[in-house]
Amino acid sequence: MVDNMEPPPHILVVDDDREIRDLLSKFLERQSCRVTAARDAREARRLWPLGRYHLVVLDLMLPGESGLEFARWLRSQSDVPIVMLTAMSEETDRIVGLELGADDYVAKPFNPRELLARIRAVLRRASGEGNSTQEPPAKAIRFAGWTLEPARRRLLNQDGVEVPLTGGEYELLMVLVERPNRVLTRDMLMDLLRGRQAGPFDRAIDVAVSRLRRKLEDDGRNPSLIKTVRGGGYVLAATVEKAAELPQGLALAGGTAP
Amino acid sequence: MIRRLLPCSLAGRTALFLTLALMLVQAAGLTIHALDRLDLQRIMLSREVSTRAFIFWRTAVLASPDRRPTMLQEVDLMRGLRADLSELPAVRPGMPPPPLGLAELFQVKQWRTLPPHLRPRTLLVAGGPTMRDLVVASQLPDGNWVNLWLSVPVLRPWHSSAFLVAFLLMTGAALALILWATRRLTRPVSALARAAERLGRDVNAPPLPENGPREVATAARAFNTMAERIRRFVGDRTQMLAAIGHDLRTPITRLRLRAEFLDDDEQRRKMLADLDEMEAMVNATLAFARDDAATEPSVPLDLAALCRTVLDEAADARPELTNEAASYEGPERLRIRARPMALKRALANLVGNALNYGGTVRILLDGHGSGAESSLVRMRVEDDGPGIPEDCLEVVFQPFRRLETSRNRETGGTGLGLPIARNILRAHGGDVVLRNRQQGGLCALVTLPA
Repeated sequence: MVDNMEPPPHILVVDDDREIRDLLSKFLERQSCRVTAARDAREARRLWPLGRYHLVVLDLMLPGESGLEFARWLRSQSDVPIVMLTAMSEETDRIVGLELGADDYVAKPFNPRELLARIRAVLRRASGEGNSTQEPPAKAIRFAGWTLEPARRRLLNQDGVEVPLTGGEYELLMVLVERPNRVLTRDMLMDLLRGRQAGPFDRAIDVAVSRLRRKLEDDGRNPSLIKTVRGGGYVLAATVEKAAELPQGLALAGGTAP
Repeated sequence: MIRRLLPCSLAGRTALFLTLALMLVQAAGLTIHALDRLDLQRIMLSREVSTRAFIFWRTAVLASPDRRPTMLQEVDLMRGLRADLSELPAVRPGMPPPPLGLAELFQVKQWRTLPPHLRPRTLLVAGGPTMRDLVVASQLPDGNWVNLWLSVPVLRPWHSSAFLVAFLLMTGAALALILWATRRLTRPVSALARAAERLGRDVNAPPLPENGPREVATAARAFNTMAERIRRFVGDRTQMLAAIGHDLRTPITRLRLRAEFLDDDEQRRKMLADLDEMEAMVNATLAFARDDAATEPSVPLDLAALCRTVLDEAADARPELTNEAASYEGPERLRIRARPMALKRALANLVGNALNYGGTVRILLDGHGSGAESSLVRMRVEDDGPGIPEDCLEVVFQPFRRLETSRNRETGGTGLGLPIARNILRAHGGDVVLRNRQQGGLCALVTLPA
């Protein structure tokens, strides 16, 4: 759980279902968080100036003002981390939310423990990289000819062809591109990946790296992109460029179906 | 045999029948015309023959007996006329009587009404070896005979090159016109077929234009009305299922949260497992009903990487499996256009099935085929399990159909995995069928447009 030395994180939960609001508050309080709950965006706006919140859990489906509208307003006020609650069917909302600067999402009906893991991961990132959260979220991350779109969780090659990644591969790649040209030991990678990863990250880091190399067309015997460092570690040898806007053409990559 | 020679298309058949009928009519018409002309020709030629015969006779009568042979040598004969000078008549007793009409055609009657100095002493007329021949023997004043063999010239109407050229030219022109016209006329039918095909894949396909001939416009209007009804029906059903799914999400979330407050770990674990199952069922039902595939845009995609991703995720979710349980064979890269999330779900369903009932899974991906197959990508998802009975290979694609022998609740599944996979692949313009492998195990044959 959160370190006892720090004050408990204060979380604002915005959900229109009273039962869920209460149960989630109770659940998070048991995990030693301070929780304030709001029924809708109006109440959340009223509560916002009254506390110093470390994180907002926001249901996108709200009566009245939508969750997205509120997230936009919230971003204009503060850099507070946002974890969205979305339904499977609201994929476009989720992408818009992530592009607006929400930090993560959990699909409803969510598993409370998974939500907790996401909250912790987001809080850890926010505290660890407090200064880097100032920059607007990157819509596209480019390295060595590849393009990563965090909001859509997808990787495109130089021709704009989508190369599917598993959840683990995606998280590993995100960790690597966020720290280019820095040696990351297996332990550091395990640590960084814990909590970000939705499912169990069972396979060893080495397996994940070798899979990722294969998809990135990096020769496993003589890798040039994800290099192996003697003594046990990996480094992404590439210049990473973050773009706030999607490059022209890639944004239009989606066409009509055959 | 005839069936095989018949063109397949409506336009082709109509054109064939019309052309055949026209050829028949043309042949008949041209023949009537030729026969008409032929009659005339025959009369003219016969006249010519009889005139020449008469000239021969007149020369024989008027020439002095000593100069007669020389004079007769100089008379022009022609095809259909033979003549000689003899002491005996060529007409003998026992020869057939002259064929009716022939004597008239050759104007034999006139010989009897000649002026006295030209009239033969005796005129014998008989039929020749065929019905076209006439033998005339007329006695000269000196008792010798002039024998004439007249025959109706044989005419061959179809041997005229004009006939053939006319026939071919007219047939060609008619064929071109017919082909053009039938194409035009049957175009609405193929448009209707294409529209029906499109509607089968995508209920939101654009409506048919309601123009053209009255029957076509009526059919198009009826089709559009039907499409609209289907659209409304699908829309209603989707909305209802989405509402149910959405409404179920809230109680499932609540129950998950409540479960966290249970003190009995065993009960909590079981409750959470039940809730997971419920969620999976709700999600599968929603996915089947809502047909997400239709809304996701189609993008260029690396199919080889997708196969690996699906296999890796399936293996990750089953830590008890060995490394070899999920394997991939095929090209390193294979670019196609597809809807990534939908296609991933389809493949994940097939791979999950193979692992659940076969214990192992192999994806064998063929590159782009050659020739007629070049527009298709083929893929096999194989397992080493027991397979399924031959008569169930199609049944399992029906929603909520589970084979009780192999699929009990322990192995899970909603009975929607295969129907969803097939829906998605068909929405891509591909398909999936199941086959039992000869070596044992089941094989899902997947085709996708490249």
